Amino acid sequence: MIEDDIYRTSSQFRLWSYTETSLQSLRANTNAAAIERVRTALRRAREAQQSTASSAVGTPITSQPGSESEGRGNEEKEIDCLTPEEELVFVRYYCEQLLELGETYKPPLPTLVRATAIQYLRRFYLSNSPMTYNPKQIMACALFVATKTENYYMSLRQFADGIPGNTTTEDVLAPEFLLMQGLRFTFDIRHPFRGLEGGAMELTAIAQGNGQPAPHMVHQTPEDLRQGLMSIAPPPVPSSSITDRIGRAHGTTREMLKSAAQMTDVYFLYTPSQIWLSAFLLADRPLTEFYLDTKLGGPLTSTTASTEDPNNNLQNPLYDLRTKVLAILNDCAALLQSYMPLSSDPAQMKNLKRIAKKLYHCQNPEKVNLAAIQKRGSQLPPSGAASSAAADSGPVTSESESDRLAKKRKLDREQKTRNADPFGPELVPDRTKGH
Amino acid sequence: MAASPFASRSPSLTISSPNTLRLRASTAQNASQTSVARRPQNADQELTEQLNDEVRQKYVKDKRLGEGTYAVVYLGHLKNDPSSSVAIKKIKVNAEYKDGLAMDAIREVKYLQELSHPNIIALHDVFSSKDQNLSLVLEYLPRGDLEMLIKDVNIHYGVADVKAWMGMLARGVWFCHENFVLHRDIKPNNLLIGSDGEVKLADFGLARSFADPNYNMTHQVITRWYRPLELLYGARQYSGAVDVWSMGMVFAELLIRIPFVAGNTDLDQISKICEAFGTPTEENWPGVTQLPNYIPSDRNVPLQGREFFLRQFPIAGPVGAELLMSMCALDPRKRTTALQALRHSWWTTEPKPTKKEDLPRKAGGDKKMGDDLTRRGGELDDSTFKNAARQLDFGAK
Repeated sequence: MIEDDIYRTSSQFRLWSYTETSLQSLRANTNAAAIERVRTALRRAREAQQSTASSAVGTPITSQPGSESEGRGNEEKEIDCLTPEEELVFVRYYCEQLLELGETYKPPLPTLVRATAIQYLRRFYLSNSPMTYNPKQIMACALFVATKTENYYMSLRQFADGIPGNTTTEDVLAPEFLLMQGLRFTFDIRHPFRGLEGGAMELTAIAQGNGQPAPHMVHQTPEDLRQGLMSIAPPPVPSSSITDRIGRAHGTTREMLKSAAQMTDVYFLYTPSQIWLSAFLLADRPLTEFYLDTKLGGPLTSTTASTEDPNNNLQNPLYDLRTKVLAILNDCAALLQSYMPLSSDPAQMKNLKRIAKKLYHCQNPEKVNLAAIQKRGSQLPPSGAASSAAADSGPVTSESESDRLAKKRKLDREQKTRNADPFGPELVPDRTKGH
Repeated sequence: MAASPFASRSPSLTISSPNTLRLRASTAQNASQTSVARRPQNADQELTEQLNDEVRQKYVKDKRLGEGTYAVVYLGHLKNDPSSSVAIKKIKVNAEYKDGLAMDAIREVKYLQELSHPNIIALHDVFSSKDQNLSLVLEYLPRGDLEMLIKDVNIHYGVADVKAWMGMLARGVWFCHENFVLHRDIKPNNLLIGSDGEVKLADFGLARSFADPNYNMTHQVITRWYRPLELLYGARQYSGAVDVWSMGMVFAELLIRIPFVAGNTDLDQISKICEAFGTPTEENWPGVTQLPNYIPSDRNVPLQGREFFLRQFPIAGPVGAELLMSMCALDPRKRTTALQALRHSWWTTEPKPTKKEDLPRKAGGDKKMGDDLTRRGGELDDSTFKNAARQLDFGAK
C-alpha cells in the first residue's frame, strides 16, 4: 500500500475533493436553493405581519385578494440575493477573521487548530449559504470544534471568554450540531503542514550529506545528492548557506500554507502534498525542482536522449509523470498566488461592504436565532412533525420574533442614515442578540 | 465503486479498491445531482438535513443490545435488505458535559471515518436524530471479543489460534499507525470478532493523531493493565510504541489466559512491571529518570532476557517468545514497531496461523458487543479479573 492509496481512503478525498467545474456547480446549486428559501421565508414573514396587522384592525385578509398577490410579486422583485461569487467572498472574509480570532487568544491558538476551523467553515458553505446562516455566527463554533478535534483542549467557558466582545457560551455552541451535520460528521482535515516539515527535513539531511535516495533510485549516493543540491541555480533571494536557503524556503512556504492555502480552493482541488510543493515552488523554484528530481528523476527528455544514443538508458522512465506533476503544481501555485488578503486591498474591501449591505436584506429571517432553533429542534416530537407544523402554522420563527426583527431592522436603518460610515466598526449589524 | 461524496461506506461495500483514481470528477457531480434532485421534496429543510434524513431512513433498529452511561447499542438492519445486520451506537447527550459533543464521541467518529481496514471496525454511516443525538452505524460483530474467549474455560485454543488473532491485531494496529493514529486503548475487550472470525479493533474513544514533535499529549490513556511504563511515568511525548506494549500484553494474556501484569493501582502497576520485566535504569533506558513521574525503585531487577519469556510463555515457542519480548521492551525506542512485528519470522514459523473460519468461537457475542460498545474508554471492568493479580507469581520458576 502506498501513500496515495491511503490518501484515497481519507474522507478528505472521498467526500471533499472536487474538480473546478463540479465545485462551481455545487456552489451554484447551494446558492439557488438558498435563494428560493430566503424568498419564501421573507414572504412568509411579511404575510404573517400583514395578517397580524389586518386582524388587529379586524379586516379579514380575504377582502383584498388582488393586493396581496400583487404585493407578493413586488416583494420578490425587490429581494436581490447574493450570487455564488459574492457568497464566496463573504465566507472568505470570515476565514480571514478566524485567523485573526485565533491570534487574540493567549497563547494564540495553534496554526493547525485555526487551519482546521477555516476548512470546516469552507466545507460547511459548500452546502449552506451565508444567506441562510451568517458565517459570523458559525465561525466561533468552527474554531471551538477545531480545538476539540485537534486535541487543543479548552473549556467552552474559557474559549468564549477569549472572544473579544460579549459572545456567550450559548452563542458559540448553538450551531455546533448544524455545523457537524454540514461537515457530514467528518472531522479529519489532511493539512499540507506535515508534508512540508518532512520535505524540509529531507533536504536538510541531503545538505548534510545524510540524504537517502528514493527507493527506485538506488544508484544515487548521499554524496551525489549533496553535490546535486549544491549545484542548483541560485535562490530568488540570496542566502548565506544552503541550510539558510532551505530554512527560508521553509518559512516562506509555511506562511503561504497558513494564509493563501487556507483562503483559496486548493484544499478542494489538490492533495496535501501537491499543495505544499506548489507553495514551495513559489518560495524557491530551483530547490523544489531539485527535490522533485530526487523522486522523479531529472528533466531528461526522450528527444535529448535519442539524439545522443537511440538505445541508451538516459531517458527518464518517470519523465511523463514528472511533466504531469509539474503541470499540476504550476496550476495549484497559480491559484495560491492569486490570493490577496481582503483587508489589504481597498477595492476588495469596498466590494465586501457592498456584499454585506446586500446580504443584510436577503438574510433568511427564520434562521437568525440559532440558539432558539436549536432549542426548538431538541424539543421536537420524533416524527416528520417539524416540516408539516411549519407548513400549517406559517413561519417557523414565532411572530414576536419576526416582529422583533422587523423593528430592529427599521431601527438599524434609521441609525445607518444618521451614521457617516454605514457600517461602523461592525461589518454586519449584529442581529442575533436581543436588546 | 461509484462512491458519491454524500454516500456512505455501506455495509455491502468492502474497503475501497485502489482503483478509484477517477473518483473525483464523478463524486462531485453526484453531489450536485443529489442537491438538485432532493430540493423540491422538502423545501423547508436545508440540504444537509435532507441528506441526514436519507441516511437515517436507510436503517431500521431491531433490538437493544446494551446500554451504558455513554451510549445505547442496538442491533439493526438496512431497510432494503432485511438479511443485513448493523450495530447502531447511539451516543447519549451527556447532561453533565456542557461543552457540546463529548471528546470521546468526536474522536471515535473522526478516526473511524478515516480508517478502512479489515481489522478495524467499520463505520458505515453517521446520522443525527431529531433530538440531536448522534448515531454511529457500525459493522455488526456478533461473536464477542477476545476477552470472552480468554476467560471461557470451556474453550480450548492453541498457539496457532493465538497466531491468527495476533496477526489480525498487528495488522489493525499497523494500519492505525500508518495513518498516524494512536489507538491508546488496546485490550482484549476492545478486540471484537466478526461472524467470519476476523478480529477487529474497536473503541476509538481515546484515539488521536500523532502529535507533531514537541507537542504534549496526555499520559492518562490506555487501561492500566495494558499501559506501558513510559505512560505510567507521565511521558507527554510518545509514539506508536505505547500501542505495541498493549499488543504485547494482549499477546501474553492470550498465551496464559490471564492478564500478565495486573496492578491494583498505577503505582502497583509500575512495581509489577518492574518485577516482571526488570527495573529501568539510565543504562537500559536512557532518559527514563527524567520522566515527570519517575520513581526510583528500591529493588533492582535485571532486565529479563529470552529465557524468561520462554519460561513464562512456553507455548509461544522460542520464536514467538522472542517476538513477545520485542514488544515488551521497557525503553519505547527499543520496542518493536507494528511494522517490524509484522515482518517477524514467527508468522511463517510452524504451526501456521489457524484459518479464521476454523478459529474457536463462542455464542452470546451480540450481548458482549453491546457491552463493549457502551463502555467508556480506559475503563477497567473490575469484576472481570477480580483475583487476577493474586494468581500471578512472578518469582515462581
